[in-house]
This record gives sequence, structure tokens and C-alpha cells, in this order.
Amino acid sequence: MNLEELEKLVTLQEDIQEIENLQKMYGYYFDTAQYQEVIDLFSENTESVEITDHGVFRGKEGVNRMYAGMVGMKRPGWMFFEVMQSQGVIEVAPDGKTATGRWYTPSFECRPFGGTKKQTWQFGVYDNVYVKENGKWYFKKLHWNLTYWTSFERGFLKVPRLSDTPFPHADAPATAYHPYPSGYHVPFPFRHPVTG
Amino acid sequence: MTLEELEKQVQLAEDIQEIEHLQKMYGYYFDTQQWQKIVDLFSDDTESVEIVDHGVLYGKKGVEKIYLNTIGAMDRGPRQPWVAFIVMQIGAVIDVAPDGKTAQGRWQTWLFESKPYGAYPRQEYLHGYYENKYVKENGKWKFSKLHWNNTFCSPVEDGWLNLPLMGWMPLPDADALPTAFHPYPYHRNNVPYHYKHPITGK
Repeated sequence: MNLEELEKLVTLQEDIQEIENLQKMYGYYFDTAQYQEVIDLFSENTESVEITDHGVFRGKEGVNRMYAGMVGMKRPGWMFFEVMQSQGVIEVAPDGKTATGRWYTPSFECRPFGGTKKQTWQFGVYDNVYVKENGKWYFKKLHWNLTYWTSFERGFLKVPRLSDTPFPHADAPATAYHPYPSGYHVPFPFRHPVTG
Repeated sequence: MTLEELEKQVQLAEDIQEIEHLQKMYGYYFDTQQWQKIVDLFSDDTESVEIVDHGVLYGKKGVEKIYLNTIGAMDRGPRQPWVAFIVMQIGAVIDVAPDGKTAQGRWQTWLFESKPYGAYPRQEYLHGYYENKYVKENGKWKFSKLHWNNTFCSPVEDGWLNLPLMGWMPLPDADALPTAFHPYPYHRNNVPYHYKHPITGK
């Protein structure tokens, strides 16, 4: 291996590490309701953000619109989201400028339902696109697809989803909202490592 | 990139990998009651170990006290087959200091446990956060500070909303009181992030 080839491999490792950290930090900031910090993780050239059935929000302006309502919002202590960013598969494009990532997210939650507090399980899949700008990795596209959202007590077989949550100020309806038991799987961004 | 810069980057990647393994191995040893092996993961110059509301224990002496004399002493023999501790080490964000000699790491953990409560076997879910420090000594990474803080410890039958904490577990011989133990619903950011925002640097 010559120095140039070695440099390319090392940069690839570094890119994967930074993207993994970006995704995990997104999760931690989300858990602690630090939404301005979340917004700052997105590129100025963001394509879109789409979360469950909220709908598609386009551009950095859409990122702001999607999360801005939450910035500074005082979440009561009992209302919580602990999202575990798990099992990342990151694929960096050959030119090293963009990347894709697929992740699983089991999560613990508690939030209001009508007048009551409800503890819930959520599970979903991320299919994200990242971009490197001025040496830093950002989100270029974030898509979180819901598998189930169920009450703690009853489970996903009995109650696959607790309600629908479309956002009226989205740019477009959700593109791939098919919760359990639809059999839908978010397409893989990566190719088979052996057969290609 | 010069050879020297390249070497530095490779070293960093290697360090992060070793620290991630250290933490995950700690989890696997914990789940299988290998207490001496856990003690051996800690530096002789360990600052402190703090687990949930057990309190703070200082130094390598504190490490031996908590893992061998306390947790280990209670849980030394063969466990009943139904007793289980499964701690999943998830979401590592590791930052190695520029000099490559120390590091900090944040993790979260999801646990399945079943253990006796009084006369009864109970099954429970737990969640928590680590903010740990690591040190490289003679080419090997070790723990220099371990802090695991509980979000909730709840029976599988009730959940965190109905029963966030199954019981208090302060150790009478700890060196100091716990510094950050405020479980759900007072859990938020009791263990602040060691890292700066990757884009804004704040």
C-alpha cells in the first residue's frame, strides 16, 4: 500500500467514526430536549427531514420548521424519550463527500394522551444521508420510519400504533409510513457485501 | 497527509476501538460475575467509581471494595439459573484527548434483570447513562473513572411511569454520597455531556 492509498483508508475510518458520533449525539440531544443543538447538526443544504407520519419537511428551512416549535419548550420531567441509536451500518461514497446510514432504534417513552400519561415502547429504522462540508459531517437527509408505537402494558402485537400524528405544516405527506404488521421494510441503502 | 499525521489518525482509530472494547468487556464480565477481571480493568490511579445511589468510592481501593467486597460478596457463588443481569452497552461517543493519554466516553445502557427482592423473584427493566474516563498506561487503556447513573429501575409488570425505582441501595461504607442520582422523572441531564457540539463547538 502506498501513502496515498493508506491515507484514503484512514480517512474512511475517520469518516465512519464521525458519522456514528453525529448520529448518537443527535439521539442524546433529542433525549435532553436540546433542539437548537439538533438543528445545528443539519447541513444548510439539507434535502429533507421526515419522522414517522409527521410528513416531509424540505430544506434547512424545513428542519427549522420541524424542530423549531420544540426549541425552548419546557418538557415536564415525566415526559421523556430515550432513543437508543443502535447497529449503525455506514457507507461512505467513493468520493468521501456523502454517506448513507441505516440504524435501529428501540426507545422508551412517556407522553401525554388526552388527560393521562402513557408509557410507551417505540421501534423504528433510520435511513439517513450525511454530507461532509468544510471537513465536518452533517445530516443531509433524515428519515425515521416507525415500526411500532405501542403501550408499555399491551405490546406491539395487540396495539401496533397508538395514534396518527401528521403535522399540518409539513411540505408533503409521509412517503413510507407502514407500521407493523404491514410487512414493510425500509429499503437498504447498502449493497450486499459479498455478492454486491 | 504526512506519514506522521497518518500515524496519529490510525492511532486515534485504534484507541477508540480499544476503549469501546474495554467498556463492552466490562459489561460482559459484569453479567457473568467475573469481579476480579473487572477490578483488573481499572487503573491503579483510578479516580473514583460511582454506580447509581451506592455512593462514590475513591481510588483503586474503592474499586476493590465495591466489586469484590460488596457486589461481588453478595453475588459470588453460582447464581440460581433464573437470576440474570444483561447490560447492553449502547451508543458510545468516545473522545480521546489530543495527547492520546486520556479519554472520555458517554454510553447508554438498557438492562434486563431478574433477581430476588426479599423472598420474591422480580424481573425488571433498567436504563442508565455512563460518563466515564479512561487512561492509557503502558500502551493499554483502563478505566480511570466510572460513573453509571440510573434513569429508572422498574418491574416489567409496572413500567417506569408507575414504578420508576424499585428500591434504594446506598452503601454504608461508601466514601461519599452519590453526586447525581435523581431517577425518572427527575433524570434529565444529571450526567452532563463531556463533549462539545461537533458543529457549533459549544
